[in-house]
Amino acid sequence: MTTVTEQPTTTLKKGYVGQSIARREDKRLVQGQGTFFDDVRRHGMGYVHFVRSPYAHARIVSIDVSKALELDGVYGTITGDEVAISTDPFFEMSVEPGGNIKDYALAVGRARHMGEPVAAVCAATRELARDAADLVEIEYEPLPALVEGEQALKNEVVLHDEAGSNVVWSGVFSWGDVDQALAEADHVVKIDRLHFHRFASTPLECAGALVEYDKGMGEWTIHCNHQMPGIGAIWMAPALRVGIDKLRFVTQDIGGGFGNKICLHPQYVVLCLLARKLGRPVQWTEWRTDQHTANAHGNERTFLDIEVAVKADGEMTGFKVRAIDDCGAFPRYEPLGCIIWAQVTPGMYGWRNIHVDFTQVCTNKSPVSPNRGYSRMQHLWLTERIVDIVAAELGLDPVEVRKRNYVKAEQMPYETPNGCVYDSGDYAAALDMALELIDYGSIEERRKEAAERGKLLGLGVGSTLDSGTNNFGQSTLLNPDLQFSGNNEAASVKLDIFGEVVVTLGTVPQGQGHETTAAQVVADILGCPPEQVNVRRGHDTWFNAHAGFSGTYASQFAFTGLGAVKGAAELLRDEMVKLAAFVLQAPEESIELSDGMARIKDGPEEAALPFMALGAIVNANNAFLPPDFNPTLNHRYVCRPYFGMVDKEKKTGQLTLTYATQIHAAVVEIDPETGEVEIIDYAAVDDCGVRINPQIVEGQVHGATAHAIGAALSEDFVYDEDGTLLTANFYDYHVPHALDMPPLKTGAMESPSPVAPLGAKGMGEGGGGGIHCICAAIQNALRPAGKPIVYDSCNPPHRVWSMLQDPEATRANVEVASR
Amino acid sequence: MPARRLLVHFLRDDLGLTGTHVGCDTGNCGACTIHLDGEPVKSCMLLAVQVDGAAITTIEGLAPDGELTPLQRAFNEHHALQCGYCTPGMLMSATALLERNAHPSEEEVRIALQGNICRCTGYVNIVEAVKAAGGGA
Amino acid sequence: MLLREVDYARPETVKDAIALLAENDGARPLAGGQTLVNVMKARAASPEVLVDLGRLDQLRTISFGADGMLELGAMATYAQLISSSEVEVARPILGEVAATIADVQVRNRGTIGGNVCVNDPTNHLPPLLVALDARFTIRSQGGERTVGASDFFQGVYLTAVGEGELLTKISVPPATSGTGDGFAAMTIGRHGTCIVDAAATVTEDGVRVVLGCVAPTPARVTEMEERLAGSDLSEESVRAAAAGVGATLDPPSDVHGSADYRRALAETLAARAVLQAAARRKR
Repeated sequence: MTTVTEQPTTTLKKGYVGQSIARREDKRLVQGQGTFFDDVRRHGMGYVHFVRSPYAHARIVSIDVSKALELDGVYGTITGDEVAISTDPFFEMSVEPGGNIKDYALAVGRARHMGEPVAAVCAATRELARDAADLVEIEYEPLPALVEGEQALKNEVVLHDEAGSNVVWSGVFSWGDVDQALAEADHVVKIDRLHFHRFASTPLECAGALVEYDKGMGEWTIHCNHQMPGIGAIWMAPALRVGIDKLRFVTQDIGGGFGNKICLHPQYVVLCLLARKLGRPVQWTEWRTDQHTANAHGNERTFLDIEVAVKADGEMTGFKVRAIDDCGAFPRYEPLGCIIWAQVTPGMYGWRNIHVDFTQVCTNKSPVSPNRGYSRMQHLWLTERIVDIVAAELGLDPVEVRKRNYVKAEQMPYETPNGCVYDSGDYAAALDMALELIDYGSIEERRKEAAERGKLLGLGVGSTLDSGTNNFGQSTLLNPDLQFSGNNEAASVKLDIFGEVVVTLGTVPQGQGHETTAAQVVADILGCPPEQVNVRRGHDTWFNAHAGFSGTYASQFAFTGLGAVKGAAELLRDEMVKLAAFVLQAPEESIELSDGMARIKDGPEEAALPFMALGAIVNANNAFLPPDFNPTLNHRYVCRPYFGMVDKEKKTGQLTLTYATQIHAAVVEIDPETGEVEIIDYAAVDDCGVRINPQIVEGQVHGATAHAIGAALSEDFVYDEDGTLLTANFYDYHVPHALDMPPLKTGAMESPSPVAPLGAKGMGEGGGGGIHCICAAIQNALRPAGKPIVYDSCNPPHRVWSMLQDPEATRANVEVASR
Repeated sequence: MPARRLLVHFLRDDLGLTGTHVGCDTGNCGACTIHLDGEPVKSCMLLAVQVDGAAITTIEGLAPDGELTPLQRAFNEHHALQCGYCTPGMLMSATALLERNAHPSEEEVRIALQGNICRCTGYVNIVEAVKAAGGGA
Repeated sequence: MLLREVDYARPETVKDAIALLAENDGARPLAGGQTLVNVMKARAASPEVLVDLGRLDQLRTISFGADGMLELGAMATYAQLISSSEVEVARPILGEVAATIADVQVRNRGTIGGNVCVNDPTNHLPPLLVALDARFTIRSQGGERTVGASDFFQGVYLTAVGEGELLTKISVPPATSGTGDGFAAMTIGRHGTCIVDAAATVTEDGVRVVLGCVAPTPARVTEMEERLAGSDLSEESVRAAAAGVGATLDPPSDVHGSADYRRALAETLAARAVLQAAARRKR
């Protein structure tokens, strides 16, 4: 039983918070004056190109760089052998056998996925580096490629000898009594296999860094776009055998992250080694092809042997499932994905008996990295598929089944079977709003009209949770020896000598508008207009405004990032009030901050000090302050969300603090001859509690929806049996362009979070709502055509066509046993 | 300067005009869009030598004195950018559209932007911004 | 991503361009660059000399020949096809199909000559030009010759244009009364790469149906054309004529569709293209 500690939500007077203030970041970005890492230049810098494995699996017999070194303009090279000597393998989070995997910055002895970096060359220009790469001679001995997660379990082809098994992690999660629920059920719905496919958010700016090495200090400066430098440093410093303080990460503008810029440490270590070896700054920009083949895919998860217990009245009482998660060639951030789904174990629903047998395996595919919706999205897709398949098979209305089974608003805060607490939300009301936006009442009419035109029309709902503010203690449920728990984020707010308010953040924004929203929060607390608040761009280790978990990920900025900003601003405010009270010789309670001044409330006009005066006193004119009063006007605050400890035995605990709701609804028309799916109506309703900047929130909903639509209808990282990625560019890996997007209607609700500092939940990932509702809509549309079951999360035209040709093949997947 | 140098790298690396961006390897994403003799083209599919004698406008040329164009201001007002990486290319394509078609419809805007990929906004606010700058057809 | 070293020439006349192509084994013409530059970035092909046709304005014209044929200069861009009043009057399907190719930026540079000379099986214009019974004029140092569409497209990436030769223009018959054109495609996303496409022309002499993406070169569907001889071109007859076409094809299987899927698409799209052409017959 977990206790919820209600962190008091300050009722910030509704000032700038809550307003859709236009973003300050835009001024530089619309003029092309943003500074992305590839815009940074250093005199004498070298450009790096990675030589990558063309094989999915191969022994590296020999590497000869001599011809590359002879090319004029080439500064140097590095290979796996050198890396194995001068670095240690990266820290692994799993227990044995996965924890024994040796993961180096370059392939050592063996290449384990197509595109894996095997060597690197550095040259005076980008073109020369590319030419030099062609001159590196590598002899490979191809090995059989393992490309199926289920195959991996057989351990016929084993990727990592040190582990001796392809299993990275496995465990059983069992809460309640699912066997009893199944025994008592009126219907048991069995689904053999559902598959959540491999895709990623493919941020437009590729990964990369410019690395400088200061020989005198033994320090590296890494100008980059790593979106979670806290953990980047934890991986890199021990590998480089240096203290963590020797790594300075500097980010400025970042062209999207979505989680795909978290596992950049292998390439960054190579750059650090080269910078040190060659005595010059070195720069690497990832190619698009490399991002697709070798950077970050989302977790691919296969769900097997699903059994669902359903009562006659439509109440779903429990489910069991066997999940196989394919994390590609190296775990890296994994196996965290093996527990993070448990933040949303029951999905949106009230069932109490849940059994998940979870195994994660390595295959010869690109390593995964957290991808927008990380691990929760896969699990929520499962629960939504279950609801739709149960409804379809039992002849129930999927909307009614949802309402029957949703956790109710009156039950909030709601403790799930594994001890997580859904903080607030009204799922039924959000669903109603979504249905109204797509004119639910007219669906049958529209279905008939479409049929007259030869089209199959369908409606689907996808409900999803965007869980935010991670408790890293959940990692101990995977590996009890890990020393991680809780979470934190830092910020500092100061008043400069000329009265300038300056904010530095530990977060690493990649488009979420942190500079603007932080300014809104500070402006309300300090009583000045947001334009007077300067927020330093990006993350810099030397700002010292970061903590161990700093970064932008896991839908938590509104809680932890802004919580830190709020905390620091309040400390500053209190000090400013105290200082003003002293100077104006008035009691502290009578001092207010407004319009950029500290003044006596309802006092004479002269009884006011501009911020500049306060700054000047402390910084330049402080002799008259008494010895026991030492204001700094410079405050760093660490927001530490409170979770309590997790229970390693029962695998329960508060794994995350806030839960934003998103309910999506889609209406599709399918061309039965071609399988083409057209979205003709779409609605997304978001409830993330208090919205700091509603326009920014809505922008995140749009973006998450576009990602989900792309994933649902076309984006798929497909491999052939040799482990070659077939969708390595934007022709074959089709992402939505402007003409591909349906008209989007959005709605918003605000169920404030009782636990978040500003009542604002984290949001942004979107939980894959679009994938869930499009799968549902397709299944609904195809009902007249043999009732095929949608079994895969990606349904491009050829798959829909196959379902139309042979609906029975998909139906063989499902069995209903009824009393 | 080698004949093989792509125009986008010439602009970025040789001229220091880093507002034009590279987002892909195959000419799909449009982040590199510039104007060549007034027409939007992808600078990653041109060699720098090819444009000898032609007039090139990059994002830096839209508001050379720092006075934002109505379109740039509309992007800000309508929250038409998040990470900003596709934004220069979007602005070049949209500016060219508005020069030819002062009041484009929604479909016309989407056609004009079809060669510019965005992964942040879902295009919703971008289309709104362009329509608004066009006086809202 | 980055090209190998290459020599570059920008001749001022067609004669000079052909001379450069004839004199250098490793020379390739650079038209719009929307395919070739990508190919060179991937280092899938690395010509030694690029002969930039960009200065050859005489290859950019769209006009009517003395015989009334619509003459499209090989360097005419997709954008020119779309905005040309000659095309709109004589054979509007050309502009309509061009408007679905990729995007504005590509259409501002990509040329009709480049599209056909690459002869990628997924390109839009080869099957369309076969349906329109276009003729292709090729010039070399030895003179000029004109080739019919079926002889022009010879294999994947292979056309009748040989070493030291240059395609200078494509001639398309103007639509006369009773002529209608149709085009139907299944693409990867809107305006994306074709998965299967079909072009059809209905004239008083009969029907021409051509499929793209199913064979190394555009495939005339002669069985379907024969079944439609003298037909009323109703939905029923056209569908019936298309039935079974798939079985005669041997299309590729790839990530965007199996061979069977392409066979099914071929039948559907061939029928739709013919029906479209029939509905648009000029009075």
